[in-house]
Amino acid sequence: MKISKKVKEQTRIRLLEAAVDVISEKGFEKASMREISRRADVADATIYNYFSTKEKLLYGYCEHVQQQVMDELMSIEDFHEYSLRDQLHQMTETKLTKWLPAREFLTEVFSYTFASPATGNELLSETKNLSKRMFTDLLDASIEAGEIPEQPYQDLLPRLFWDYETAILAYWLKDTSDEFANTTKLLDQSSEIVGQLLIGGVVGKTLDMFSFLFRTHVLQHMNSLENLFADPEIMAAKRKFMGGEA
Amino acid sequence: MSTVPRSQLARSSVVGSTAVKIGLGKLKTKAKRPFLSHENSEAADQEQLNSEAELLFKAITQLRGTAVKLAQFLGMETELLPERVRKELAKSYHQVPPLNRVLVGKVIENEFGSRPDKLFKCFDPEAIAAASLGQVHQAELDNGTSVAVKIQYPGIHQTIESDFKLLRKIAPQGINLLPKSTRPTKEVLDNAITEVESRLQEETNYLLEAENTQWFANNLQIDGIQVPCVYENYCSNRVITTELLTGVHIDQWLETKPSQAVRNQAAQRLQSLFRNSIIKHGRIHADPNPGNYLFKPDGRVGLIDFGCIKTFSNQFVEHLPSLLASICNGDIDHTLKTYESIGMVISTDLNSDMRDSLAEFTHWIAHPFMTESFDFKENNTYTNQAHELMQRLNSMPTVEKIQEDLIFFERTSYGLFKIFERLEATVDLRTGWNLPAL
Repeated sequence: MKISKKVKEQTRIRLLEAAVDVISEKGFEKASMREISRRADVADATIYNYFSTKEKLLYGYCEHVQQQVMDELMSIEDFHEYSLRDQLHQMTETKLTKWLPAREFLTEVFSYTFASPATGNELLSETKNLSKRMFTDLLDASIEAGEIPEQPYQDLLPRLFWDYETAILAYWLKDTSDEFANTTKLLDQSSEIVGQLLIGGVVGKTLDMFSFLFRTHVLQHMNSLENLFADPEIMAAKRKFMGGEA
Repeated sequence: MSTVPRSQLARSSVVGSTAVKIGLGKLKTKAKRPFLSHENSEAADQEQLNSEAELLFKAITQLRGTAVKLAQFLGMETELLPERVRKELAKSYHQVPPLNRVLVGKVIENEFGSRPDKLFKCFDPEAIAAASLGQVHQAELDNGTSVAVKIQYPGIHQTIESDFKLLRKIAPQGINLLPKSTRPTKEVLDNAITEVESRLQEETNYLLEAENTQWFANNLQIDGIQVPCVYENYCSNRVITTELLTGVHIDQWLETKPSQAVRNQAAQRLQSLFRNSIIKHGRIHADPNPGNYLFKPDGRVGLIDFGCIKTFSNQFVEHLPSLLASICNGDIDHTLKTYESIGMVISTDLNSDMRDSLAEFTHWIAHPFMTESFDFKENNTYTNQAHELMQRLNSMPTVEKIQEDLIFFERTSYGLFKIFERLEATVDLRTGWNLPAL
């Protein structure tokens, strides 16, 4: 029997949601694939057609959240009229909202990724790519509209933004304030900074400055080192000094 | 009066007692410093004040929401604060950083389950006004009604908590900026801060405010005074939706050069509102901040922001007219008796100095009631005279307990008189109080 694409997608999401439930309850280590598939009302073996490992379920849900964030942002009719700062703020805020029902699960994602960064990094690549595409799209639109200047190191920016969002999520997981008010405040204020950095093209300028410093000063010193080594007289003098007792 | 929620009574009493305590604190500090040369200490205070006030209050204005509310609260006790400090605080009204559309959307979605553009037919993401603990947006309901949506800063209760932690740390230094004679003790200060904090936390309950607004809309029927009606389906703990009133704030209105007659009419309406609220309902809108009145070109006035409501005791409402009457008669002994009948405790052994000061004070109160209609343009220093009189009264242990209702009555009428002075209006203050004939 051929299963339609739609049904397949529904089963996939059901499995992810079941994984969130089971992993939230028992922790990643103790959760079993069997229990997840039963919770999702899927035959024991079928789960492996969708997710070959438990890790893939863990990170599959991250991708699912990122996808939901994108759908949500696309459903806001006047989203393109927001300022870039507000768009990024909305993006991160939406991410928090989407993670809210699975906050315990996210804690598991963080601790697993912390324990096995290589696996995490590999399995998160799809999510990161989607995040990068979303961020780059906003940035490009903003540059086209003349809202912010060309950003010379655009490849770097999506990665920085990803790290920023990860830091916000980490802060949120530790936030014990009522209704996560502290996170709301942090996000509000930090997105202002992010916005200002982009408007000023600061990341690019900073890197420009570093490379300028590097070229003019560090390389200069490299040259003088080269000269040092190349200068036989000094080398000789040094040897002579060091070999004083000879 | 029986319809008043109990928490409302409790809430108002907080402010009243704070005012009393601050007042008493003034007396205590004065009593403790008899040997300090008055001039020297004042000069030193002023110098310190100039150099530090700005710095300190810049820090305070960073505190979103709390600062505005605190400024309002301290603004009630204007006579207590030096001019410079008051100016810095007044600025904070306008310096609240606005919420961006993301946070506005977040609050609406949290409260009603859908985004503002889905909940309303249209919703303007730009705020039209700052409110004490939030900001106001214009929107349109599905049936086309224009509404004002007041949105509370998300997490403001949390902010209030942390702001007050900070405030407790900086307040002792702030207090040093006050002239020595008006500096409250640490204990008084701590109590005041705690009480303002709990009152603020209560004010974050927008449902209560919505209830109050609706109560006034139902009960106040005064020609030319408009109270917005409340749209309950769009109200929650964090959001209040009311009818959108048109009109402008007093300064803008005065710029349009309304005629003397129209200004008089507007002022007279505010006066009727105040008197009727007390006599008929025993309950007043107790926040006479000019920002709470919206003036229309024809002199009609809209009343907004029902966050601060005061309900008077039956005893107070009953005795108030006779108190005013005896003040107008200039009979100091009878006045003292009436003061006591509403619950004031006044020192029994008044010497002649104290009697004189008291007489002068009651004379000041009586002054605008002693004419058919009082011209606030001619008497534009009337409210400012209160400063010196109050200071003189405070320097004597005449009054041991100020009746709380009276504080609210005086404060609200003082605020109204300030507005009348700005309007340069002529107002009949006598009608309705059953005062003795002129």
